[in-house]
Amino acid sequence: MDRRRFADWSLKVGIGAAIASAIPGVLTLRGKARSAATDAVAPGDRLVFALGQNAGQPVTRGSFSQNEAVLAYPEGKSDNHENLVLVAKLDPAELGPPLVRVEGADGVVAYSAICTHLGCTVRFSEEPMDAAPFPHIHCPCHSALFDPRHGGLVLGGPAPRPLPQLPVRLNDKGEVVVTAGFTSTVGVKA
Amino acid sequence: MSAVRVNIGGWVTERLGLDRLRAKYLGKPFPVHSTFFLGEIALFCFVVLVGTGMYLALFYEPSAASITGGAGPMPLAYASIVAIDATPFGALVRRMHHWAAQLMIASIVLHLMRIYFTASYKKPRELNWILGLVLLGATIGASFAGYLLPYDQFSVTATAIGYGIARSVPWVGPALADYGFAGAFPSPSSVPRFFAYHVVWAPLALSGLIALHLVILLKQKHTEPAAARAVRAPADAHLIEGVPLWPQQASLMAVLMLVVIAVTAVLSAFLPVHPSAFYGPPQPITPEVKPDWYLLWVYGALRLIPGGLSFRFLGATIGSEAIGAMLVPGILALVIVLVPWLDRGKSSLYFAESPTASPRRLAFGLAVVTLFLALSLAGFGAELGLSVPVLWVITLAAPLLVWWGSYLLSGGRRGAGA
Repeated sequence: MDRRRFADWSLKVGIGAAIASAIPGVLTLRGKARSAATDAVAPGDRLVFALGQNAGQPVTRGSFSQNEAVLAYPEGKSDNHENLVLVAKLDPAELGPPLVRVEGADGVVAYSAICTHLGCTVRFSEEPMDAAPFPHIHCPCHSALFDPRHGGLVLGGPAPRPLPQLPVRLNDKGEVVVTAGFTSTVGVKA
Repeated sequence: MSAVRVNIGGWVTERLGLDRLRAKYLGKPFPVHSTFFLGEIALFCFVVLVGTGMYLALFYEPSAASITGGAGPMPLAYASIVAIDATPFGALVRRMHHWAAQLMIASIVLHLMRIYFTASYKKPRELNWILGLVLLGATIGASFAGYLLPYDQFSVTATAIGYGIARSVPWVGPALADYGFAGAFPSPSSVPRFFAYHVVWAPLALSGLIALHLVILLKQKHTEPAAARAVRAPADAHLIEGVPLWPQQASLMAVLMLVVIAVTAVLSAFLPVHPSAFYGPPQPITPEVKPDWYLLWVYGALRLIPGGLSFRFLGATIGSEAIGAMLVPGILALVIVLVPWLDRGKSSLYFAESPTASPRRLAFGLAVVTLFLALSLAGFGAELGLSVPVLWVITLAAPLLVWWGSYLLSGGRRGAGA
């Protein structure tokens, strides 16, 4: 090997090594995984108020009247934004498939509060809208509409899929307790 | 004893050979037209942004860590913004930073329209056309990175939507979103990340791109106003008529820069922009917010695309959110980038063209502008009482009508151009 080729190869190997050594640094940019398994919602979790003066207190049968809703977290797991749920009390006679019915829920249903369109926090409707019968869930960002009586089906707007349901029941103290995980992936699905 | 005269200017000039530099550049002619100042306005807005930003960075704390303020726990970043607003002139500097950003994007858009409608993108200026579009994108990116920094309710909502959009990108979405936003948003690590983007990466990139944009302009020479062509002998077409850089053009620029600073200051004094304390610290609820005017068209597109619209492509599902936030803007951006190659008209090396010289170009440009306006209008459908189907009709019909009308009015049927 002559000197010129040696210099040429040294340069190439040097550049290659420099790029290779940068890979771990670049991989670090990814940050933490999307949701840690430890703070994922689990059966048996009590739901507690996410907001207001009762924040952290259990949501109970007496927390809302019919056709009202509150934002809640599974107790002790409020650091995981994906755990935010909308808990509503509806007329049990109006509920229908594909809603997952739970024995002893008494018309209380819970949905992921993260819109499946682009991840804003959805709201329980305060008034009827032309496009959707009352009660419904709507997203203030791009006007996605969901049906809380029928498993969070999309009623209109840009949401690509239903809101994931979180099956819940009332325990003997009237508190809202989780019975199973979310029925589908929470938030924006790629 | 005679007085010792110190000539510092001469001393420096002699050592750096400034005479030759002056001879070459100080007399450089700058063609004058009122629309030729739009790019300069953008540059001066950038200067205001750098100046106010350097001041704000002295006080801002890039951390989402919770501290106990007067009104309960709040993120440190938000608390530092509230504290800046409470210092003498602090709120004014922060508003100037916001207003200068708005004005910078506005003047870039007007500059872009000026270049388009006078056909100044033609050969050999394609490079600067693309570079200018990259600058527009980078400026919007820098603004978006800055959205998060006050870490108020509005900031977190806007950035969360950005995270959702990044996640919706086909094939690489989740990885792209997590790499860009330092993990699942909202997370505390996003604040230092966006601070770095906004304060180090974006200004450096913008400075470099602006420098390149100007060097290419210097090398290729500025176009002259269309009117100059009529009074110039064809043999002299390559000569450039304009005011010399020193002192006329330099004085014009100095005046313009002072005007930009003054306008920004007056706007900031009387019109609040991004009142963080009004939005409050972040909460799990999403407020009713709209994006800034320059992103309204994407917002409108996102509202128009129905959830049922999706298709599969090479193993990825392209959903409504990816169509509204990626596909539609991507196609529009691509069309604009390709303008120098879509226009088959003869290139004019020295002169800008009249906007009406080519009916086809005029009609196409006005139609695209109308499309952007119609999509932005769709963002206000609920407020205007317009349903989604009506907005769809407006979005599709208005650009076509404008295209047809302007084509006819500018003489397209007579075969007068392009």
